Amino acid sequence: MALQPPSPQSNVPRNDVANVVDAMLLDSRVKWVGIVYEATVGGLDQFDVTPYIVDPT
Amino acid sequence: MISRIRFLLLVVSVLSGCATQKMSGDQLARVAKDWSLSIRASQVIPVYPLTEDLQPGDVFLVQTPVEEQVKMYLAKGFLPLENLVTRLSPSGYGRFYRGWPLVADGDNAPPRAWQFPGPDADSNFSGAPIAAFPTYNFSVSRSGGLNMAIPVQSVPVGLNLLDGASANGTITLKDAFTYALPARTMFDAIHQWCRDNADYLSQYEPTEPKADKKSVANKFYLRVINRVYLVKTVDVSLFSNHAFGGGGSAGVPQPLQLLNIANATEAARQFSAVNEILSNAMAPATKSAAPVATGEETVPHPLAVGGTVKLAMATSRSVSLVETFRRPLVIGYLASDYAIEARGKCAAPVSTMSVLERHNPAAGKTIEYLGCDENCQRIRPWIKQGTNLQKLGSWLETKGGAIAIADFLTGDYAGLRQRVVSDLIEAPQ
Repeated sequence: MALQPPSPQSNVPRNDVANVVDAMLLDSRVKWVGIVYEATVGGLDQFDVTPYIVDPT
Repeated sequence: MISRIRFLLLVVSVLSGCATQKMSGDQLARVAKDWSLSIRASQVIPVYPLTEDLQPGDVFLVQTPVEEQVKMYLAKGFLPLENLVTRLSPSGYGRFYRGWPLVADGDNAPPRAWQFPGPDADSNFSGAPIAAFPTYNFSVSRSGGLNMAIPVQSVPVGLNLLDGASANGTITLKDAFTYALPARTMFDAIHQWCRDNADYLSQYEPTEPKADKKSVANKFYLRVINRVYLVKTVDVSLFSNHAFGGGGSAGVPQPLQLLNIANATEAARQFSAVNEILSNAMAPATKSAAPVATGEETVPHPLAVGGTVKLAMATSRSVSLVETFRRPLVIGYLASDYAIEARGKCAAPVSTMSVLERHNPAAGKTIEYLGCDENCQRIRPWIKQGTNLQKLGSWLETKGGAIAIADFLTGDYAGLRQRVVSDLIEAPQ
């Protein structure tokens, strides 16, 4: 049984976006990752990080 | 000749009504589906019925869950565009089509300058980006309804001109155009709109199913159009399959023999006469009395639906017609879906086509990032070493429900992370 593809994650702080993207890209099926600014909470920017298997454009 | 034209007039005058009014609901649904499947083969989401009033920036509220959308799309062949929420007017055409004549932002943003070039001028899409579609083959049967039907009038007209029970044919979408705004521009525009209308959108935030099963989970999306495809002219050629549909009783007219090379003058006159009849028969009632021919030149009246049908070629076994819409109509589009999240926030875009064609790009439901706890911080460097990544993958497959490593590291799996540290990092030492 293969692992499930990674899920999109919300509320990812700016300083950990790179690590979350890195973890998502450990799955070789993931070819694109979308990073969307979400909000600034307590002076810290937060992002939605969404992995894509198929070209989302 | 006169009796033949009278027969044709009778046929044509009733065919537009016959072709639609006598169709059952099933047949009409099949018309929509078959047409849509043809357009869909060109990697474009079909519009049915054809409309002029669809452009990049149109935002639709999609209520149906994605899984249901896919079912509906595969069953019907198209998606109803019913809940138009707003029409964004993002600027960016001028930059995107830099150097392209007649493309600007503001009131003259596409397609206005092509639709209405001047107070008294007809539409002129000659400056619009050109698109091309393949030729589609289809079969048509008078008795069994339209096996491959199209929302243009040329097919029933042609079938009646052929006087055949069934025919094969080809349809060519000529004078096709396309224009778009880049996804990045649309992304900025829709997210700004979402922020400005968060209160409105919050009524569509996702709902969880209730324990009593009186309500089901629901999720809403904003579908944002970013490219449209338009067609102005449709060529239809029909080739009769069988002998003639009518019986052999006295008084039944024989099929048309318009192409008689031995008598070119007579052929030209008959063509002109048939086109005049087509034009008269399909003109709106208020205009039907207006003159349509000046000498040998036939001036086609606009159809009630906004187009004209002209006969291009006819023999005893084939007929070709050209249908021209008054202005180009949108036949398909490309779009992105934005899920509406809690508090009316718009999520990341997903290509509508990818979703509908079952190429779901994003896996599963969005999970909340809960931070990288102490165990996560131990696991992250550990999986970079040697074959530890494979070990973790195997462990998650057998003991962790096969969840993704990214989900495992920063999702709500603190217990699993503790077990991994115990089983894989601390135990071997």
